[in-house]
Amino acid sequence: MLKIKDLHANVDDKEILKGINLEVKAGEVHAIMGPNGSGKSTLASVIAGNEHFEVTQGSIELSGEDLEEVSPEERAHKGVFLSFQYPVEIPGVSVTNFMKTAINESRKAKGLEDMPAKDMLKLIREKSELLEIDRKFLSRSLNEGFSGGEKKRNEIFQMAMLEPKVAILDETDSGLDIDALRIVASGVNKLKSKDNAVILITHYQRLLEYIVPDFVHVLHNGKIVKSGGKELALELEEKGYDWLKQETAV
Amino acid sequence: MDLKDKLISSFMAFENNVDVEHPVHDVRMAAIKNFEEKGFPSKKEEAWKYTSLNNIQKIDFSIFPKEDNALEYKDVKRYFIHEIDTYKIVFVDGIYSSYLSETTHDGVDICLMSAALTKPMYKQVIDVYFNKIASKDESLTSLNTAFSREGAYIYIPQNKMPKKPIEILHFSTGNEASLLLQPRNLIVVEENAEVQIIERHQSLTTNEVLTNAVTEIFAAKSAIVDFYKIQNDAPTASLIDNTYIDQKDKSHVKVHTFSFGGKLTRNNLNFYQNGEFIDSTMKGVTILGEKQHVDHHTLVHHIEPNCESHQDYKGIYGDSSTGVFNGKIIVDKIAQKTNAFQQNNNILISDKASINTKPQLEIFADDVKCSHGCTIGQLDEDALFYLQSRGIPQKEARALLMYAFANNVLSSVRIPELKTRINKLIAKKLGVNLGFDL
Amino acid sequence: MAYTEEELKKELETKEYEYGFYTDIESETFPNGLNEEIVIAISKKKGEPEWMTLWRLEAFKYWKEMEEPEWANVHYQKPDFQAISYYSAPKKADPNKTLDDVDPELLEMYKKLGISVDEQKKLQNVAVDIVMDSVSVATTFKKTLAEKGIIFCSISEAIKEHPELVKKYIGSVVPKRDNFYAALNSAVFSDGSFCYIPKGVRCPMELSTYFRINQAGTGQFERTLVIADEDSYVSYLEGCTAPSRDENQLHAAVVELVALDGAEIKYSTVQNWFPGNKEGKGGVFNFVTKRALCEKNAKVSWTQVETGSAVTWKYPSCILKGDNSIGEFYSIAVTNNYQQADTGTKMVHIGKNTKSTIISKGISAGKSQNSYRGLVQVNSRADGARNFSQCDSLLMGNECGAHTFPYIEAKNKSAMIEHEATTSKIGEDQIFYCNQRGIDTEKAIALIVNGFSKEVLNKLPMEFAVEAQKLLEISLEGSVG
Repeated sequence: MLKIKDLHANVDDKEILKGINLEVKAGEVHAIMGPNGSGKSTLASVIAGNEHFEVTQGSIELSGEDLEEVSPEERAHKGVFLSFQYPVEIPGVSVTNFMKTAINESRKAKGLEDMPAKDMLKLIREKSELLEIDRKFLSRSLNEGFSGGEKKRNEIFQMAMLEPKVAILDETDSGLDIDALRIVASGVNKLKSKDNAVILITHYQRLLEYIVPDFVHVLHNGKIVKSGGKELALELEEKGYDWLKQETAV
Repeated sequence: MDLKDKLISSFMAFENNVDVEHPVHDVRMAAIKNFEEKGFPSKKEEAWKYTSLNNIQKIDFSIFPKEDNALEYKDVKRYFIHEIDTYKIVFVDGIYSSYLSETTHDGVDICLMSAALTKPMYKQVIDVYFNKIASKDESLTSLNTAFSREGAYIYIPQNKMPKKPIEILHFSTGNEASLLLQPRNLIVVEENAEVQIIERHQSLTTNEVLTNAVTEIFAAKSAIVDFYKIQNDAPTASLIDNTYIDQKDKSHVKVHTFSFGGKLTRNNLNFYQNGEFIDSTMKGVTILGEKQHVDHHTLVHHIEPNCESHQDYKGIYGDSSTGVFNGKIIVDKIAQKTNAFQQNNNILISDKASINTKPQLEIFADDVKCSHGCTIGQLDEDALFYLQSRGIPQKEARALLMYAFANNVLSSVRIPELKTRINKLIAKKLGVNLGFDL
Repeated sequence: MAYTEEELKKELETKEYEYGFYTDIESETFPNGLNEEIVIAISKKKGEPEWMTLWRLEAFKYWKEMEEPEWANVHYQKPDFQAISYYSAPKKADPNKTLDDVDPELLEMYKKLGISVDEQKKLQNVAVDIVMDSVSVATTFKKTLAEKGIIFCSISEAIKEHPELVKKYIGSVVPKRDNFYAALNSAVFSDGSFCYIPKGVRCPMELSTYFRINQAGTGQFERTLVIADEDSYVSYLEGCTAPSRDENQLHAAVVELVALDGAEIKYSTVQNWFPGNKEGKGGVFNFVTKRALCEKNAKVSWTQVETGSAVTWKYPSCILKGDNSIGEFYSIAVTNNYQQADTGTKMVHIGKNTKSTIISKGISAGKSQNSYRGLVQVNSRADGARNFSQCDSLLMGNECGAHTFPYIEAKNKSAMIEHEATTSKIGEDQIFYCNQRGIDTEKAIALIVNGFSKEVLNKLPMEFAVEAQKLLEISLEGSVG
């Protein structure tokens, strides 16, 4: 589904990603772990098409299509979803209004009519229940004055609404208390299917207790230095990252 | 003869006493020409909408004071921050008093404008800085420039800091029935140098005094300047203070203005940020009573990117006093990443007092954070009740709340003795003994 | 046949706010220039009584002595007042002209605004064979209104039919010599609307007037007078949602609102006069004086969405004369390309316990200059006066400017005044966030601008709000590269 080949990317002329290779198939959950500054969030942004980063080499393919020339919104239309580490505030725009716009823009790109208001309401009701979101919350300005947990839960709510093919969850567990983490994780688990894929970007193993990955990759200094099954996460938790840093240095 | 005509004709007399061959004299001639064209500003001008100089112009001011004016230190000691050691540049009726002053040339120059304008050793500095940032357009600044002869001259070379703060004091003795003073100060702080200056104008009698002062401050790269203005003059003394500040990269300049006294006070405080990563701070506490009038006009011109400015002015207005705050912030097109903040809070405590405030933003760059806030209100009744319920009499409780209102402006005063002094002045102005040491 | 409330509601649902009228159009053009004869001729042409002619002449006398104001933060070539025709017929429909002759860019804009083809033709003076229904609609409603004693007609008609009301109130809020443009308007106003709501009556529908500047002289110097008698209520809409492509045209309107004891007037404006082209050529000069007088317990709300005009000079104001009266001002001003707007409000607190609220949202794009200029004045007897003002500016691109000039004058110690202002820009992170959810950049900006303007948009009647949103979007199109 998602195929990344020898991906290099710069920000302000500094190379952050130095040759990433990763293949994610439908139905799989991948976890990308690594110490701070290893390039995890950069990888997420680059997959989503953030023009702040410059891709200097390599390619990203989604269902066989090269995304190089594809704008961020078109990537979204094609099913790429990024749950932001720091969701952005948009004052005066309600969560509902934002989602309505996003869904209808996606539909427009596919040549579909706007979603009828009735269906939209039904969808919102269904998905907000899934994530135990209070309806009043949906009329608030997007992310404005939201607590850390509310922001993250709102991201997953949006993911549920947009039903992406590939969902990248960038540090979704940070800033969540245990109850919120459980709700978010169970939401993600319910949304998981054989037709979509999830990439979890995380610093800690904690989230992986709730969303069990099929593969774990360790990112260090802009490269995937080790890949393995879910047991790799436990090993990391035990030994820390220094062990890996040493190993790769050798 | 009206004051304007008198001043213009006095210029010729003035020329008899200065070196007309000196290059500075061309500057004076251009300035008197501008003043002659423009005259005194009128209320029709936007910048003078709320302050009238009509009554002042009716007074027959002496322009050249007599020269005998000895003062005993003990008579004026209380106007100095005498608890600490300072350099002092003291003028009595506009004439330098060597007896009361303590100047220095030890690594830094803390001395007189008259010397700087005439002696060859200062020529280079005068050529580069004199009248370079002061407005050539504003009529009262021009008036001062035309008659510029005396004032404070402070030059701090690279990496230097004077051993102690500098006090600039202007006394008027009442030898003249009414006196016009026009001090001209030049302060140059070179790269990485630092200076602290306290300025005060004090009339010792109830004779009329009008001071039209111009101060130019140049803060070079990474320079630090703290300037404190104490305005607690006699009820017959008026002040028009024009201060122009030129800042270069990474310099920090703070100007505090404490306005408690005087008849009419007009502060024109202008900051020009000619560099990046500059910080400009303006703070003011104004407490007025009787028929006092204070008009604060501030300007911060953000010319280059990545700079900050902070303005915080608090005013408490009693009796029939009037206050004006006009704070202008201009952000040029290239001055991206500017942070400009302005706050003006006012309390009216009398039925006859009034306040006119006009915060003004003119923004031409898009990546900026600018805000201004302005409030006019009263003391918090709940807080007042709370204090009273703890046994503090209403009058003291009010004073305490007013003190608290002005307090955060004082937090940035870096000379503790000065801070104490200002606190005492505030307490006195509020007419109460707070019963604890501030 | 009397309308039932139910029928009325139904009618309103389908017709929305189409109710309005257009001023009668004469087909004669006066020579250019302005003098006493012209003023008399205008008055005569309109069959006005003598008192009105004299009133105009007095205004003209004042105007001659006045100078065009210069204090606003706008720069433009001053109109030559002797080169304007003060009474002119509209352009005659050209029978050979078809829509194919019309600027396609303009047609595109009409399409976006949802203006029908017939309407488009009408706007462009293309001959149409369908008669617009507005006159009859107006008549039908007029009957309903008349049953409640509401008078809603053109000011010309009111001068003839209701001279006692006009005589009493015209110039009572905006005196003839108030300012240069008000004096000019008083001397030469061509037409406008008049509205009177009797005591205790709640006007059952929103009254609206459309002004189109390409209906020649009629739009240029309009005069509006709204009188809400004691304890009455009216919501009044004024709009021009169709831009026309004329050269620089002067538009100097006067709007006077009188809210008597306990009355409430909501006055909403959507203004979209031609702003000039992308190079800053052409466009309308909009110099408008709008003011309301609030008696005891009265309330006036001004809501405006300003996206048009090359130069705007406009300060809808409230004189809070009566105790407990309330004034509100909600404004969105959008400038793009070379537009200049200097707009805001005056809240003059005279009565006790008077309250005012000012919410102003300025959006500048392109090479435009957008200024907020406001005055909050608390007089010495206005005990307990309250004001809250908030002025926010949004800048798009670094060739535009945003300016705020809020004057605050307080002469009463019990006044509570709060003023806040912020300036910001649309963040790249906000755009990317929207992009990532599938929303393209143009749409994202529209969404963010809408959010920024929401507090004001919410104050508009629903249909107007939808239209205003569309206008915002169109006005800012192409403003971010």
